[in-house]
Amino acid sequence: MNRFSPQYSPGPDFLMPKVLRVLLWTSISLLGAFALATIALHRGEQINAMWLVVAAVATYAVGYRFYSSFIAAKVLAIDPRRATPAERLDNGRDFVPTNKWVVFGHHFAAIAGPGPLVGPVLAAQFGYLPGTLWIIAGAVLGGCVQDFVILLFSVRRDGKSMTEMAKTEIGKLGGFVSYVAVISIIIILLGAVALVVVNALKSSPWGTFTIAMTMPIAVLMGIYLRRIRPGKVLEASVLGFVLVLAAIFGGQWVSQSASWATVFTLSGATLAVLLIIYGFAASVLPVWLLLAPRDYLSTFVKLGTIALLAIGIVVLRPSLHMPPLTRFIDGTGPVFAGTVFPFAFITIACGAVSGFHSLISSGTTPKLIRREPETRMVGYGSMLAESMVAVMAMIAASVLQPGVYFAVNSPAGIVGQAPEAAAATISAWGFPVTAAEMASLAHAVGEQTLFNRTGGAPAFAVGMAHIFSNSLGGQAVMALWYHFAIMFEALFILTVLDAGTRVGRFMLQDALGNVWKPLGRTSWYPSILFTSGLMVAAWGYFLWQGVKDPLGGINSLWPLFGICNQLLATVALCVATTIIVKMGRARYVLVTLIPLCWLVAVTFTASYHKVVNSNPRIGFLAHARQLASAAADARLIFNDRLDAAVAGVLVVLVAVVVIESALEWARVLSGRKAAEVREAPFVMTRLALEEQG
Amino acid sequence: MSQVACGAGARATLEAKADRAKASAILTAITRLFTLLVAALREIFDESAYARFLDRQRVASSPAAYGEFLRESEIAKARRPRCC
Repeated sequence: MNRFSPQYSPGPDFLMPKVLRVLLWTSISLLGAFALATIALHRGEQINAMWLVVAAVATYAVGYRFYSSFIAAKVLAIDPRRATPAERLDNGRDFVPTNKWVVFGHHFAAIAGPGPLVGPVLAAQFGYLPGTLWIIAGAVLGGCVQDFVILLFSVRRDGKSMTEMAKTEIGKLGGFVSYVAVISIIIILLGAVALVVVNALKSSPWGTFTIAMTMPIAVLMGIYLRRIRPGKVLEASVLGFVLVLAAIFGGQWVSQSASWATVFTLSGATLAVLLIIYGFAASVLPVWLLLAPRDYLSTFVKLGTIALLAIGIVVLRPSLHMPPLTRFIDGTGPVFAGTVFPFAFITIACGAVSGFHSLISSGTTPKLIRREPETRMVGYGSMLAESMVAVMAMIAASVLQPGVYFAVNSPAGIVGQAPEAAAATISAWGFPVTAAEMASLAHAVGEQTLFNRTGGAPAFAVGMAHIFSNSLGGQAVMALWYHFAIMFEALFILTVLDAGTRVGRFMLQDALGNVWKPLGRTSWYPSILFTSGLMVAAWGYFLWQGVKDPLGGINSLWPLFGICNQLLATVALCVATTIIVKMGRARYVLVTLIPLCWLVAVTFTASYHKVVNSNPRIGFLAHARQLASAAADARLIFNDRLDAAVAGVLVVLVAVVVIESALEWARVLSGRKAAEVREAPFVMTRLALEEQG
Repeated sequence: MSQVACGAGARATLEAKADRAKASAILTAITRLFTLLVAALREIFDESAYARFLDRQRVASSPAAYGEFLRESEIAKARRPRCC
C-alpha cells in the first residue's frame, strides 16, 4: 500500500507495531465503553463531567479511526490520485488548494453556530443521558457521515451546491424541495435564534448595553480595516475583542447607574423591533461596514470561548447535578412539551446531525480541498469537533442544580410570574429551589431576575459562569463571566442573523429574477430593499409570534426549527444515498440509509405530533382550538395554524423527495436505468504524477 | 582511570547532543504548530485571501487595493451562510 492507494490512511498508526496498535485501540474502546456505561447506569449520585468528556472523546476516536476510514475506502472509494477542483480550477480566488488543517479550521468556524449550544441546554430537561447519547451516537453515525459524503460528492462535482446536486441526481423536484427547505430553515432559524437573543437581553441593561456596543465596535473595525490598516483582520479582531471586554465592564457600570439602567432596560417587544431593524440594516448596508467586521469579531470570540470552555471543563472537572433522566421524558416538560422520542432528537439538532452543514460542505469548503483523502478529516473531523461543543453545552446545563435550571428555563405561563409561586411549582416537581436562592443567584450574576429566562442562552451562561467562578476569580467575578457568556452567544446569533438575512435575500433575488429580471440584479437598490424587507418580515413574523407567545415562544419555534433542519438533512442523505447507489456501491448503502431512515422516523413523528397531537402544548392545531374556545386573540390562533401549515407542507415535500429517491434507487438497482454518476472527469493530480516520476 | 573519565566525558557529550537534538525537534514541532495555527487563522479571517488578491493583481496593500478586494469578494462573502 502506498500513499496513493485508496486504503491509505495517514496518521500515527503506521509508526507503531501492529500489537501496540491493537492494544491502544482496544484500550480506547474499553475506556469509551466503560465511560458510556458509567453515564448510562449511574443512578442516585452525582457523576463527574469528565465521564461525558471521556465517553465522547473515546467514541469519536474509534468512529474517526475505523468508521470514517471504512467509508472513505469502501463506500466512497476515495482516490488520492484524482485532482480536486481546488487544484484543477485554481484561480487564487474561489478555488485555492489549501492545507488540510487550515481548511479544517475554516470549515469548523463556518459550521459552529449557536445551535449546538442552545439545543443541548434545552434538551437537558430530560436529564443529561438522552441528549448526551444522541449527541455522541448521532454525530458518529449520522452527522459526520452526512458532512463527509456531501463534501466528497461536491468535490467530485467541481464544488456544486447541495441544491444543484439534488437537482441533477434526484430530479428537478429534489432541487425545488431542497430550495424550499433551505429558505424555510433560514427563516425559521432566524426567528428562533432572534428569540433566544430577545429572551437573553430582556430586562437586562448590562447585556443590552454590551451587545449594543458591539455594533459601533464592528463599524470601527470596518473603518480600521478599510482606511487605517487595510487587510489586517486579525489585528482588528484583537482590537475589537479588547473593546468588547471593555463594553462588558462598562455594562456593569450601566446596570448600576439608575438613569442609564432605565435606558437599557428593554421589553421583549422593543428588543424584537430593534433586532428587526438591525437585520434590515445589516442586509442593505455594504458588507465591509458591518457584516464582515462583526463576522470576524464573532469568529474570534467564538473560537476563543469554545477553547476556554473546553479547557475549563477538563481542568475544573465539575460535577453534574442534573439527574440522568427526569420525569419529563413523559412529555410534560416545562421547557418544551413532548416525549423524549422524538423531541430530544429534534431539539439537539446541530450537535448531532445538521442539514445546514450540507450547505457549508457544498459551499466554500470543497473549493479549498487539496486532495480527496483530506475530505475525511475536514468533513467527518469538523463535525466531531462540533459535537464536542454540544457535549460541553450539555455539561454547562447539567452542572446547575435542577431546580435552578428549571426556574431559568420555564416560561411564566407554566410556573407562574411570581418568584414564590414559580419556586413552589418547581419544588413540587421534585427539584427544590427557593425564591431567595434565585434572587441571590440573580444578584451574583448582575441580573434583576433569573426566573422565566427561556431560550437556553441564560441557562448556558449561568452554567458557564458557575464552572469558571469555581476557580478563575471566584464568586466575585461571576457576573462578569455570566455577561461574557451572554455577549458571546448574542454576538454569535447576531452574526447568524445578519449573514442569514443576506443569504436569504440573495436566494429570493435569484428566484424572483425568474419572475421579473430586474429583481434578480443583486446590486439594484430597489431589489435589495424589497427582498431584504421580505426576508426580514418573514423571520420577524416568527420572532414577533415567539415574543407574544405566553408559553415563551421557544416551545413552538425551536421544535419547528429542529424539524426543518433535520428535514434538510433528510434531503442531503437522499442525495448521498442516490449517488452511492449510482456509483455501484449499493452493498454499502446502509451507511447513509440507516441515518436517513432514522431521520425520517424522527422528523415525521415530530411533525405529526406538532400538527395533530391533541395536547395543546404539543399540537399546533389543538392549541389553536383551545385558544378559539377561550375566545383568544385571532392572531394567536392564526400563528398556530401557520406553524402547522409550515410543518405539514415541509413534511409532504420531503416525503415526495424520499419517494422519488427510492424510485430512482429501484430503477438503477433493477437495471431499468443506467447507473450514471455526474462527476467531473478524472484528472491525475500533479502530486501523484510528481511522485511517480 | 583516565579512560573511565574519557568514556564518561564522551557519554556526557553524546547525551548533551541528544538533549540538544530533542530540544531542537520539540522547538521545530512547536514552530510548525504555531505556523499552522497562524495560517488557519489567516485563512479564516480572509488575510490569506487578501494576500492572494495582492499577488494576483501585482499591487501593494493600500486602502484602495483593500477596497477593490472587498468589492471583488463581497458577493461571495455575503452569500456564505453561517451555520446554526
